Amino acid sequence: MRVRITTTAAVGALLLLTGCGAADMTKQASPFANAQGAKTVTLSVQSWVGAQANVAVAQYLLEHELGYRVDTVQIDEVPAWDALSQGRVDAILEDWGHPDQEQRYVQDKKTIVNGGGLGVTGHIGWYVPTYFAKQHPDVTDWKNLNKYADQLRTPESGGKGQLMDGSPSYVTNDKALVENLNLDYQVVFAGSEAAQITQIKQFAKEQKPFLTYWYAPQWLFKKVPMTEVKLPAYKEGCDADPEKVACAYPHTPLQKYLNADFAKDGGEAAALLKQFKWTTEDQNEVSLMIADQKLTPEEAAKRWVDSHESTWRSWLS
Amino acid sequence: MATVTAAASRAVIPGILKVAAGRKLLVLALAAAILVPLAHTRWASGTWPTALTVDLTTPLTDTSTWIIDNRDSHPLFLYFLGHVSNAVVLAVRVVYLLLLAAGWAGTTAFAALFAWRVAGARLALGAAAAFLTCGALGMWVPTMQTLALMVVAVLASVVVGALLGLAAGLSGRMDRALRPVLDTMQVLPAFAYLLPVVLIFGIGVPAAVLATVVYAAPPMARLTALGLRGADKEVLEAVDSLGATARQRLLTARIPLARKELLLGVNQTIMMALSMAVIASVIGAGGLGDRVYQALASVDVGAALAAGIPIVLLAVVLDRVTAAAGDGTERTGRAGWAYALVAAPAVAVAGRLMGRLDWPDTWVLNIAEPVNRAVDWMTAHLYSGVPVVGGTAEWAGRFTTWVLDPVRDGLQWLPWWAVLLVVAALAWLIGTWRTALTATLAMVAIGVLGVWEPSLDTLSQVLAAVAVTLVLGIATGVAAARSDRVDRALRPVLDIFQTMPQFVYLIPVVALFGVGRAPAVAAAVVYALPAVVRITAQGLRQVDPAALESARSLGATPAQQLWQVQLPLARRSLLLAVNQGVVLVLAVVIIGGLVGGGALGYDVVFGLAQGDLATGLVAGAAIVCLGLMLDRVTQPTDRRTKKGA
Amino acid sequence: MSTPVFSVEGLWKVFGPKADRIPTDPELSALPPADLRARTGCTAAVRDVSFGVRKGEVFVVMGLSGSGKSTLVRCLTRLIEPTSGTIAIDGEDVRAMDKSRLRELRRHRAAMVFQHFGLLPHRTVLDNVAYGLEIQGVGKSERRERAAEVVAKVGLEGMEQRRPSQLSGGQRQRVGLARALAVDPEVLLFDEPFSALDPLIRRDMQEEVVRLHREEGRTMVFITHDLSEALKLGDRIALMRDGEVVQLGTPEQIVGSPADDYVREFVRDVPREQVMTVRTAMRPASAEEAGNGPAVAPTATVSEAIEAVARAGAPARVMDSGRCLGVVDANALLDVVAGATGLAVDTDRLGGAIPTAAGTSEELV
Repeated sequence: MRVRITTTAAVGALLLLTGCGAADMTKQASPFANAQGAKTVTLSVQSWVGAQANVAVAQYLLEHELGYRVDTVQIDEVPAWDALSQGRVDAILEDWGHPDQEQRYVQDKKTIVNGGGLGVTGHIGWYVPTYFAKQHPDVTDWKNLNKYADQLRTPESGGKGQLMDGSPSYVTNDKALVENLNLDYQVVFAGSEAAQITQIKQFAKEQKPFLTYWYAPQWLFKKVPMTEVKLPAYKEGCDADPEKVACAYPHTPLQKYLNADFAKDGGEAAALLKQFKWTTEDQNEVSLMIADQKLTPEEAAKRWVDSHESTWRSWLS
Repeated sequence: MATVTAAASRAVIPGILKVAAGRKLLVLALAAAILVPLAHTRWASGTWPTALTVDLTTPLTDTSTWIIDNRDSHPLFLYFLGHVSNAVVLAVRVVYLLLLAAGWAGTTAFAALFAWRVAGARLALGAAAAFLTCGALGMWVPTMQTLALMVVAVLASVVVGALLGLAAGLSGRMDRALRPVLDTMQVLPAFAYLLPVVLIFGIGVPAAVLATVVYAAPPMARLTALGLRGADKEVLEAVDSLGATARQRLLTARIPLARKELLLGVNQTIMMALSMAVIASVIGAGGLGDRVYQALASVDVGAALAAGIPIVLLAVVLDRVTAAAGDGTERTGRAGWAYALVAAPAVAVAGRLMGRLDWPDTWVLNIAEPVNRAVDWMTAHLYSGVPVVGGTAEWAGRFTTWVLDPVRDGLQWLPWWAVLLVVAALAWLIGTWRTALTATLAMVAIGVLGVWEPSLDTLSQVLAAVAVTLVLGIATGVAAARSDRVDRALRPVLDIFQTMPQFVYLIPVVALFGVGRAPAVAAAVVYALPAVVRITAQGLRQVDPAALESARSLGATPAQQLWQVQLPLARRSLLLAVNQGVVLVLAVVIIGGLVGGGALGYDVVFGLAQGDLATGLVAGAAIVCLGLMLDRVTQPTDRRTKKGA
Repeated sequence: MSTPVFSVEGLWKVFGPKADRIPTDPELSALPPADLRARTGCTAAVRDVSFGVRKGEVFVVMGLSGSGKSTLVRCLTRLIEPTSGTIAIDGEDVRAMDKSRLRELRRHRAAMVFQHFGLLPHRTVLDNVAYGLEIQGVGKSERRERAAEVVAKVGLEGMEQRRPSQLSGGQRQRVGLARALAVDPEVLLFDEPFSALDPLIRRDMQEEVVRLHREEGRTMVFITHDLSEALKLGDRIALMRDGEVVQLGTPEQIVGSPADDYVREFVRDVPREQVMTVRTAMRPASAEEAGNGPAVAPTATVSEAIEAVARAGAPARVMDSGRCLGVVDANALLDVVAGATGLAVDTDRLGGAIPTAAGTSEELV
């Protein structure tokens, strides 16, 4: 008898706690948001340093100029769209183009809005270190790559040359490209950008040749100068069928996306994030401070903010 | 003539049949003789025949799309899962706000006073030092976020686990139904839990908490059931003989008698929840794990360590405090508790009045830089060109070429039915026909899922890593068992490696071994080594001293003692070490995907990163099957019976 | 004679698959244990046992391990559910009791003391002793008060706040005894209570039981595998083998006229002169003898009589309230010691006993 009363009480309490009726979990903020009366903005950080640089500067300005508390969460690109749609993060500051997601969330569900361009143009390609390209200038054309397969061999790639790919979250057609261009190469996935960068640095230290999937803007170019290998030119739609791709990657103007509710009610923070726009050089400067000089993102952002007031003043209108 | 041969064969066959192993192999050989030609004529291929695979891509993708599209409208989500999600968010938020409201001084005081009451003054100092270190590393807020998540996840796990354990402890049928499930969950890598939860709840704290609960509740359930079932029969009989009702029997005898196991369960749950809270940063759990994960992205070992140290400290403090509570050395006397209960809020209020709620920025130590310099120095000097021994990169290359490649190619060259036969034979020889059946079915499932090749690739890495782990681990374990000094020196190192989030050592591993399968193996070895060392050392130390003494009195040299007495007598521990080694190595396979391990690990990471649940779930399921198979193949038969006690 | 406290008729306990059919099947029930196991996979721990326990007596069930004695005592309060047969306590059918009635029986009428004590390790001595009362719903202060009295009675004063783990084996069993006594049961059941104890402590505890029995006269059923313990404590002894009672009688009957070779072998080394009474060796007195010589009581042991005869150098008279029942002389006494004399009265295997034993137990009531 007593058991039944306890159970009833517990169920009742649970219902009271959660509120009866429907609960839409897609409209649910992070439990860490808005603690202690502070206004909080949650930003998604992707795993590459450029994205960290954007977030670091935005965070610094939000905290020091506008008095927000900023939470950052590292989420991979595609899941970040889902999280953005649910409001668990408020903004993505650098998106490399995800047409499927855009269709679903921006056009259909209208839970995400475009926040304007970042001002940076992204480009993916295949790169060899410049010291190697100088010795063998013809390596920069894909047609000659097979000649160098031998030199680019590693234990991991077996009998073929190694084309190193990075994080699984990045857009890549490399397996199809190797196949369709009849290259004597094996795609080896580093599995994460951290692993890829570490490996590139190790190769560079020994002046060894390597071929890697890489992208610009990227701070690593400053440390390890790399030259792009020309692939068959990109034409609109040549990458439509992922199995049959045989052309280079496009140049993508990077975009910002905001949660729809945040864009509407986010006040100064939303306004700042919409205005946020800088150049490739700016981003690289901050990235380099974070990744190479190992400054904390906050410290790096502070240095950039201190020396580029004219740039960010205009975002605070 | 004919009679002679007949007589001879009759003599031989029973000879074989007498040995159980021989009989089992004979049965298998017969089955194979019938089935293999059939299978071979029908699907003649070395790798798993495509005719026998089921492509799950379309249904899984459809499911995933359906869930995303209906998450904000379907009643299942609105009226059930939504509430679950809300409750989790609310609970975590309440705890988090409480922790923040207490401020750093209040929280530290509370932790220290609690540790003092439960475990004594030394641990109280340790707890206080640990919390202050978290602050000094600039990790106060992330630590509190992780703590809030942990508190909720642990409470939920303990409640769920205890209820399940209660059911299994009181009902034999429930126990039989639950035990295989819990046994299986025990061997699953933490990553395998992430995908299904993300599919339903999306990225974020609710998914992280629920994944943690699913991961951390089974040990609680197991131990609760074990405690309830292991209670002294005579005590229960005595309770019955005094005319206790079922309820009185449960409350006054069975549960108090299981106290030790219950507290051990809480301890295990906390440890597992902590390790999961870090891994769950991949799905947006935030907190310390996220800091480690972010530091990884900028190849910043120092920053990763700064976030990793608080995790280690939390783990050590929580482990010691709950373990001390389980020892039953609790202090009685209400005065102490009352004092603690008054002092903690007092400190919190004092901190509040002084306006010192947030950790002061000026008190933050920057350890990242020196650590990075040390790591750079290490990699710069060890990577290559070291005289005589060669650099780590060369080792990695040779390991890949001479060990990993042959094993992988060998496995993939074997016809699929041969692999199944080998697995069945091994599992049967070591266990029972049941284990053999489970192991074989697990392998079949891998084939049917259509990931035969990558699974064998992963298997080759696991085998290589296990071999290295066992050689190193048993050698170190022997050293630790023979010398107290080595043991003492090793203990903190093992503690650290066991609790340090695996993300932290990914970068050093890549810096030393390059990208590929070799660093994945290295990461697995680092992760699995402590457990193997511990179990080996413990097993050797527990060898009956009388046996050792008699060997010594017969004039055995230390080497003879080791080989002829200690190792054979510690056989059971060594088998357990193998089993644990296998399970732990497999748990890191997915992490290995982050450093170029490829195969299944990469697929899971890919699935998580791209939201491609078809790839991720299938690879995750294949890892689960591999885990089941490996566990069964390395599981000594009597483990089961011992657990049943 | 009043109704026995416990009366057991045709009791069976069979473990194994389809145990129910064994007692009713005349063919199966007659099988020896090994054959029964081979044929049915069942083990009969208790086979067709009948006896009565009289009020105030110490009834000992003795047998080697595996003889079914512990199962038997558990069947009395249905801690183990019997397979067939009847058990009655004060005439009430135990097997017909429903749950709450059975609980009532266990709470108030029969309490048990266990071989390995069965104490609750997380409770103090006092709370362990009070546990039975707590189960009954007695209030805290009252049950503690009553428990404290019992603790004193078993000689554990000053140890009330200790935990079982801080006590010696003998002290733990005192706690077990106190817990059983605290509920003031009609019958105390002992399941080999002292076999886990050291010999010296065992003797202390046996004397404790004798003392308690003398003071309170409570009915006791005592299980043991130790013959000397059985002889020392028992008013009557049921000797079990393979689940069956082989002989039931007073210690004197068991030692003096073993029912079969098994029992004979069992009691072979018993110092007979200390168990047998002078009645065994008595012969009718001649008129001359009836007037002279040392006097001994009919319950005196042979060894006591030997002492008296040796001192006087003449046969001793067996005197019962001033009446001479007969005399014992040196030769007759020595015959007893040598084992030449059996008990004159035939033993009744099931429950019957010679008047002496009955008389003794009635005196005790």
